[in-house]
Amino acid sequence: MSAPSRAIEPWMLQPLTGFVNEAAARLVLLMTPAGQVMAQYGFSKAVDVMSAAALGAAILASTTELAKLLGNPPFAALNHQGQRHGIVLGAFDTPRGRLVALVVYDTEVSSLGLVQLFFDQLTADLAAAAPRAEQKKPVLAADFERDLNQSLMSLFGR
Amino acid sequence: MSLVNFTTREITCKIVYYGPGRSGKTTNLHYIYGRVPQERRGRMVSLATQTDRTLFFDFLPLDLGQISGFTTRFQLYTVPGQVYYNSTRKLVLQGADGVVFVADSQARQLDENIESLQNLQENLLGQGVDVRALPTILQYNKQDLPRELILAPADLDDALNFRSVPSHPGDALHGVGVFETLRGISELVLRRLAAGTPA
Repeated sequence: MSAPSRAIEPWMLQPLTGFVNEAAARLVLLMTPAGQVMAQYGFSKAVDVMSAAALGAAILASTTELAKLLGNPPFAALNHQGQRHGIVLGAFDTPRGRLVALVVYDTEVSSLGLVQLFFDQLTADLAAAAPRAEQKKPVLAADFERDLNQSLMSLFGR
Repeated sequence: MSLVNFTTREITCKIVYYGPGRSGKTTNLHYIYGRVPQERRGRMVSLATQTDRTLFFDFLPLDLGQISGFTTRFQLYTVPGQVYYNSTRKLVLQGADGVVFVADSQARQLDENIESLQNLQENLLGQGVDVRALPTILQYNKQDLPRELILAPADLDDALNFRSVPSHPGDALHGVGVFETLRGISELVLRRLAAGTPA
C-alpha cells in the first residue's frame, strides 16, 4: 500500500483523515471486532496491518470479557504509554456495526489528551457518515477453483 | 465474516485452526510460514506461554493473489487447545469464515478430540453460528507415528466426522496434508462466497 490513508468503504476516509490531522496520529486502524481491517492510515504493508488489527482486536476482546467478569460495562477505551509512542484502543457503534479503532501517536508530536479529545469526534463523524447496511451479493465467479489452485500451488512452490 | 471490498476488489477471510492441546495447530501454521514466499505472507504472531504453548492465538496473514479478479487474503488463526483457555478460544473463533479441526491421531487422545469437537460446537452455537453451515475440514494429524499408537483415518472418520465433511490425514511436522488441508478449507470458504452466502 502506497497511499497513507486507505478505506475498505469510502465513507470512512473523510472522518479518518480529519482525525489524523487533528490528533496528529502516526498510525490509525479501524477494524471490526473480529480484527478485519476496514480503514487505515500510515501502515505501508497490508499484511502488517492485518497483524496489528488481530492484536488490537484481541486486546479489546479480552478486556471486554474481563469487564463482564467484573460485572462492568465494557471499558470505553484503553491506553498504553510507551517512551516514544502511545496507543489508544477503543470500540464504538455505527449504523454499519461495531468498530474498533487503534491509534498510535508519537509522544513528542501528540499526546493522550489530544488523541482522546478527537477520538470522540472520530466516533461521532463515523456514526454520522455510515450508510445503512448494504445488500450482500455474490462476489466470486463460480469457477474460481482454477485461480485458487494456481495461487496455492505458487504459494507452496509446487 | 469475510470482508469484501467491491471498490478495490479485495477479499479477506478468517480461518481458525481448532483442536485439542498439542494436536498440531501451531505446527500447521509454522509449516505454512516456512514454505510460503516472504512477499506473500506477513509476520507470524504467536501469543504463547514461556513453554511455547499457545496462550491466546497464533496469527499468520497470507496473500493468495488474484482469484476471480479479487485480491484475496486469508488470515490464519490457531486457538489455544488446552481446556483451561476456553474464554480466549471463544474470542478467536468470533467471525470465523471456516474452521480446520486438527485432531490428534493417537488412540489415547480420542477422548480429547471428541471433547474439543464438542467444545467447538458449543462455542459456535453460543455465537449464533449454524455449525452445519460453517465451512469445516478435519485433519488427522500425527499419522507418521507408529501404527500401534494411532487410529487410521477411516476409524477417525467414524469417531469424529459425523457430518461427513472433507478430511485429510496429516503429518504437519513434515508438511504432509498441510497444503491439502489449506486448499480444502479455502475452496469451501470461497465457494460459499461465490454462492453469495458469506459466513
